[in-house]
Amino acid sequence: MTRFDYDDSDVVVIVGSGAGGGTLAHELCRRGFKTVVLEAGPHLTGEDYHNDEWAAFGQMAWTDPRTTSGSWAIADDFPNLPAWIVKAVGGTTTHWAGACPRFKSHEFAARTTYGDIEGADLLDWPITLSELEPYYDQAEIKMGVTHRHGRPPLPANNNYKVFANGADKLGYRDYSTGPYATNAEPYDGRPASIQDGFNFQGDKHGSKWSTLVAELPKAEATGNLDLRPDSQAVQILHGPDGRATGVLYVDRNGTLRRQRAAVVSVAGNSIETARLLLLSASTRFPDGMANSSGQVGRNYMRHTTGTVWGQFDKPVRMYRGETMAGVIADESRLDTGRGFVGGYYMQTIALGPAFFAKFVAPGSWGPKLAEIVDGYLNTAGMWIVGEDMPQGTNRITLSDTVDEHGIPVANVHFDDHPNDVAMRRHGQQQGAAVYKAVGAHRTIETPPYPSTHNLGTCRMSQRPGDGVVDRFGRAHDVPNLFVTDGSVFTTGAAANPTLTIVALATRQADFIASDFRTGRN
Amino acid sequence: MPTLLSDDQRRLLVDLLRAAFPHDTFPMGPYERAAQAVVDAAAANPRLQAQLLQGLDDLDRQREVPFSRLDPDIAAVVLRGIADTPFFTGIVDVAVVALYDDHEVWDVLGYEGASYDKGGYIDRGFNDLDWLPDPRIESYGDDSRQEASA
Ligand SMILES: Cc1cc2nc3c(=O)[nH]c(=O)nc-3n(C[C@H](O)[C@H](O)[C@H](O)COP(=O)(O)OP(=O)(O)OC[C@H]3O[C@@H](n4cnc5c(N)ncnc54)[C@H](O)[C@@H]3O)c2cc1C
Repeated sequence: MTRFDYDDSDVVVIVGSGAGGGTLAHELCRRGFKTVVLEAGPHLTGEDYHNDEWAAFGQMAWTDPRTTSGSWAIADDFPNLPAWIVKAVGGTTTHWAGACPRFKSHEFAARTTYGDIEGADLLDWPITLSELEPYYDQAEIKMGVTHRHGRPPLPANNNYKVFANGADKLGYRDYSTGPYATNAEPYDGRPASIQDGFNFQGDKHGSKWSTLVAELPKAEATGNLDLRPDSQAVQILHGPDGRATGVLYVDRNGTLRRQRAAVVSVAGNSIETARLLLLSASTRFPDGMANSSGQVGRNYMRHTTGTVWGQFDKPVRMYRGETMAGVIADESRLDTGRGFVGGYYMQTIALGPAFFAKFVAPGSWGPKLAEIVDGYLNTAGMWIVGEDMPQGTNRITLSDTVDEHGIPVANVHFDDHPNDVAMRRHGQQQGAAVYKAVGAHRTIETPPYPSTHNLGTCRMSQRPGDGVVDRFGRAHDVPNLFVTDGSVFTTGAAANPTLTIVALATRQADFIASDFRTGRN
Repeated sequence: MPTLLSDDQRRLLVDLLRAAFPHDTFPMGPYERAAQAVVDAAAANPRLQAQLLQGLDDLDRQREVPFSRLDPDIAAVVLRGIADTPFFTGIVDVAVVALYDDHEVWDVLGYEGASYDKGGYIDRGFNDLDWLPDPRIESYGDDSRQEASA
């Protein structure tokens, strides 16, 4: 286990070990950079994980308090749980499902493509698809994404059979079991899926890509990684010239530590990333670090989501096999004739009875809920995920509530944009039609879960006044401060975000490697 | 903190849960354990316990006869009347998790639970659905690289 000195000012400090932080760590370590990863959560591995929804959630989810406001259903349904984010080594890639679509080219130019949408703060990305394409390739190869670069597709499970047959009947053409970052056959030292489900609970088998099983062990093998679990960053420090000089964090004993740094990357997943920058206010940065634009925390996005369940006369047993392993991509197309801009995907999803009953109609009870749960075995499920509109007023701020260390927690404010509402309605209608096409006697529309995709809050912009970071994720205001997670998304696109987070982190590592010589072995 | 709930109040709580989550197929065990989960949660939360103590007493006074002896239809009407009270939502919040996480309930619903120790479902029916044809699994086009069509 490598340990660097607290006062070693040559190291790169990365806050967070999930998709963004874990990937950047590996890419920098293999280039010889001394890298310290601070991870707020514990170092758990497959053996520790539970094949049990509530137990796994309690073990790994970020359940420190957060507060909510706004007109979104979450503020009523789950007021202290706006997001489902993991607090453990590997971050939320331990609980993710692995869906890996790429952005489409027009989605990098949302402002130009969709025009001026009232109430939305659309902006074009400062990069294009063609610039990111080589990194998408690298990310897909790294993650072993099925259907790509010769990786075979996952097989059809029961949930997919219902979904795909319905899609076909409805006239959709673009359905398949992928792309997913889960091995259908052994790859990169990781085994093939044994269809054991429980992807959302941490994949015990390790056939699903995560930074825990892939990037961090590789980083560790270089001898350049100093991974510190149970270490929560609370402030980024800076010198008189405004450059970041280190990070203050609370270690597992509650002791405040200072790690000096040549470069700092923040990859705490949008909500915590914005919180940390806001907490890092100083005389020089009165509104928070990297926030001269006032954009830190703003344009928080969470994708337009919803779930549709179909209940049939015959068994489905959706829980058997991969939790998600099916995509319908037809509705992800650019087509503003549907009454909204942006597209969406439909993806298979399965929950066990415990989550199913809790989430199917939050807060509900009575004969109707009982009947729905009685139909559990015969239920098929799909999740809708589409582009939501960035809005400056949807934002992360510091709350009056404090955590166990006395530090203000994040407040998450969100109002649905009318475009989000129209898209969700369309998606739920189409989803129901898919199931009705193959004989569903009942369809159920479930409102959004606590957000699993947390995006924006430090958006990438060409002009410093429009966002927080530049085209490489470097803070406009602080030349050695980077943001390496979904916070940098200028707009959300329809695609699940992680592949893009990994591609951007890989690209950022190239940039850091060419720009910073310090710390090179 | 020990519970102040009497045995009668606990029994009433079980009956309340059976009325709130009416499954003909569920045995008593899961309802009793869900009620215990509510009692345990209340033991750690004075506000919830206070609401339980008062709320359960009030529940019995809603009609001429005690709640437990009401017709299921009438019981449902009574519950609808109190649906928005913190007493009732506090119970539902805890109970919905405990009840449907109960392994006896899983058996009834046909859910098999943990799979890893049994080798996953790869040889245990992950694709045994036979009432629909086997669909293709490959993409028709290539969704990720398709350019905008409009
Ligand atoms: C159930 C579920 C299913 C999902 N399925 C998919 C999918 O199919 N496809 C997809 O693309 N995405 C999916 N996602 C989303 C995906 O997990 C995230 O997009 C991705 O993990 C985000 O990466 P990140 O680096 O931003 O943050 P994370 O992976 O969340 O990592 C952030 C890490 O930073 C740590 N941290 C935060 N603040 C601090 C601090 N102050 N100090 C130290 N450490 C800190 C956190 O503890 C955490 O470990 C899913 C998510 C969930 C919950």
